[in-house]
Amino acid sequence: MPPSAEEAAQALREIANIKARAAGFQDYRAESDQLLLWGVAHVIGFMLSGLFPALILLIWVVVVPISMGAGMLLARRAGAEIPGIGWRYLILIGAIFVFTILIHIVMWPLASEQGAMVAPLFVSALYVMRGVQLRPRYLFIGCWLVMLLMLGFLFFKPVFWWWMAVVYGGSFIAFGCWLRRL
Amino acid sequence: METPNEIIHQPIRLKIMAALNTLATGQWLEFVSLKSIVDTTDGNLGAHLSTLESAEYVLIKKDFAGKKPRTRVCLSPRGREAFAGYVAALHAILALETLGPDVSSTHATPNNNR
Repeated sequence: MPPSAEEAAQALREIANIKARAAGFQDYRAESDQLLLWGVAHVIGFMLSGLFPALILLIWVVVVPISMGAGMLLARRAGAEIPGIGWRYLILIGAIFVFTILIHIVMWPLASEQGAMVAPLFVSALYVMRGVQLRPRYLFIGCWLVMLLMLGFLFFKPVFWWWMAVVYGGSFIAFGCWLRRL
Repeated sequence: METPNEIIHQPIRLKIMAALNTLATGQWLEFVSLKSIVDTTDGNLGAHLSTLESAEYVLIKKDFAGKKPRTRVCLSPRGREAFAGYVAALHAILALETLGPDVSSTHATPNNNR
C-alpha cells in the first residue's frame, strides 16, 4: 500500500534533514583540515615572533604564504567538485592578509602586540558571522577566540607571544579535532 | 498510484540513501562518518547496509588506512537511480493530494468503463 501524503511529506522532510546534516558534516570536515593547518602555522609563527621579535615581519611573510599554499591544496582536495575553489580560497585568505596590512597603515604606529591582534580578531569575527548564518559550532569558535585573544592582550602582556602560540594556535588545533567529530 | 521503493522506504535505509546521495558520483564515505550522519549504532547500520548491498544500491569497500581497518560506502548508479525514483514517487503522492481527493481516487482506482 502506498504511503499517505503525510508519510510522504515526512519522508521528504527526513531527506532534507539528512541532506543538511551531511552538508554540515562535509563542511566541518573541510574546515577542520584548515583549522589544523592554521593552528600549526600560528604556533610556529607566534613562537618565532617571541624568540626573534626583530624579525616579526619576515617571519609572517614566510609563514603566511606557505600556509596559504598548503591551505589551497587542502581546499582543492576537499571541494574538488566546486569550480575555482583554489582561487576562491586564495582570495579569501588574501583579503584577510590585505585587510591586516591596510589596518596597519591606517592605524600606524602600532605596537607589535597590537598589530598581532588585528588578523586574529578579524578571523574570530568571521567565525562569529559564519556561525550566526550557517553552523552553530563556528559561533562558539569565534566567541571563544575573541575571549582568549582579549584575555591575553589585557592581562598576559609579559607572555603575550607564548599566549598567542599556545592558546590561539592551540585552540585552532583543538577546534580542528573537535570538528572532526559530528 | 506508484508505490515508493520498499527497500528504501525504511527510516534508517532512507537516511543512508539520502546521505550517500549528497556525495558526488564515485565518492566514498567512511562507515564511521555515515554512522554519525545517520545517528545509529554500528550493528544497525551494518545490517541495513547489507540489505542495500544485496539490492545493489550501495557498494562497500573494506581496506586499511595505514594499519587501521576501514570500511567505506558509496552509492551505486543503480542506487542513485532508485533513490531519484523514490523521491519522485513521494512528490507524486503529494502532488495528487494537492490536486484534491477526486483526482487522487481516480488515480488510485482507474475507471475501466470509460
